[in-house]
Amino acid sequence: MTDAQTRPVLSTAQPEDYFQLLKPRVMSLVVFTAATGLVVAPGAVNPLVAAIAVLCIAVGAGAAGALNMALEGETDALMRRTRGRPVAAGRVRKNEAMAFGVILSLFSVMLLGMNANWLAAGLLALTIVYYAGFYTLLLKRRTPQNIVIGGAAGAFPRDRLGGGDGPGAVAGVAAVRHHLPVDAAAQLGPGALFGRRLRQGRHSDDAGGARRPVHPPADPDLSLVFVPVAIAPAVVGLGGPVYLAVSVLGGLGFLGLALRLYRSRAGDEPDKVEAVGREAALYDVRAQAKPARDLFAFSILYLMALFAALLVEALSGMGA
Amino acid sequence: MRLTPDELNARKRRNLFIALGLVAFIILVFLTTVLRLQQNQADARAALEGPGVIEAEPAAR
Repeated sequence: MTDAQTRPVLSTAQPEDYFQLLKPRVMSLVVFTAATGLVVAPGAVNPLVAAIAVLCIAVGAGAAGALNMALEGETDALMRRTRGRPVAAGRVRKNEAMAFGVILSLFSVMLLGMNANWLAAGLLALTIVYYAGFYTLLLKRRTPQNIVIGGAAGAFPRDRLGGGDGPGAVAGVAAVRHHLPVDAAAQLGPGALFGRRLRQGRHSDDAGGARRPVHPPADPDLSLVFVPVAIAPAVVGLGGPVYLAVSVLGGLGFLGLALRLYRSRAGDEPDKVEAVGREAALYDVRAQAKPARDLFAFSILYLMALFAALLVEALSGMGA
Repeated sequence: MRLTPDELNARKRRNLFIALGLVAFIILVFLTTVLRLQQNQADARAALEGPGVIEAEPAAR
């Protein structure tokens, strides 16, 4: 029986499937960081303008996720972590997901341009193209550095929240200046980097077909770069004592987990693992994947904590 | 072509959410327009009243 015969005439996709295309967990982080950028940015922004801007950024990020899933449906179907996604599982067709992503991209960029300013809208559009086109289509399939370079997409869209000209635009620029280092550091940080990469690499091996360039085993040098960058806002006066405490304590925890990951054998290529035989090697990597997962989870927590510290300081007047 | 109950039900739910999305978009565009008008009005008033008052005073005397 062919695929055309088994497939229903009309799509049976539910609205929930389309919502899953937006990667709601990623969206929630986007909303949180964008809202923090708004609160901390100098100058007053109309709350309604701000709320609509955050909504546009969230929908734009979701649209990029939908395009990513549309483009990667076949590969996602091969990996355990992603095979339940709507396109990979066949609940939403590739063309439908693509159309959904394109329409939401256009609407979110257009509305952000009308609501805030066209610079912000242009940056949102650039982010979507960068993530869905450059990262998904080019980087991810060609280089082990894909998540290092691609992680920058996460730093693009969130902080251009100043509205209009004059003070609004200044607020937008200031928000960029304030948050980009932290955001970029968190996005490019080895936690997201190695955690995601190692997990993806592991599942790629499980699938035995969805092979992607996998980053080499954890390199503690990157953690040594990341932690000072995360602390830097406190040193240059952007963050106050709360931020300093959170960034230093979190940084120590982060370094500890990075060291634990480095000492583990997670991410070693199976043929380099000392175990005998490919199956044994895979199981070995799997058993050692916990440090990678822990570091990945902690990197997200660290990012949230850094932004929460900025938020607390801004709301309590403790910030710089 | 006969559609199954599942297909009909899914289409109905999708259409409902598309309608809700469109209504939400219309409301957002309306709110954005109102906010923009208010902002532009305020800017125009400030441009007219600000330097104009200072310059007009000597001429009135």
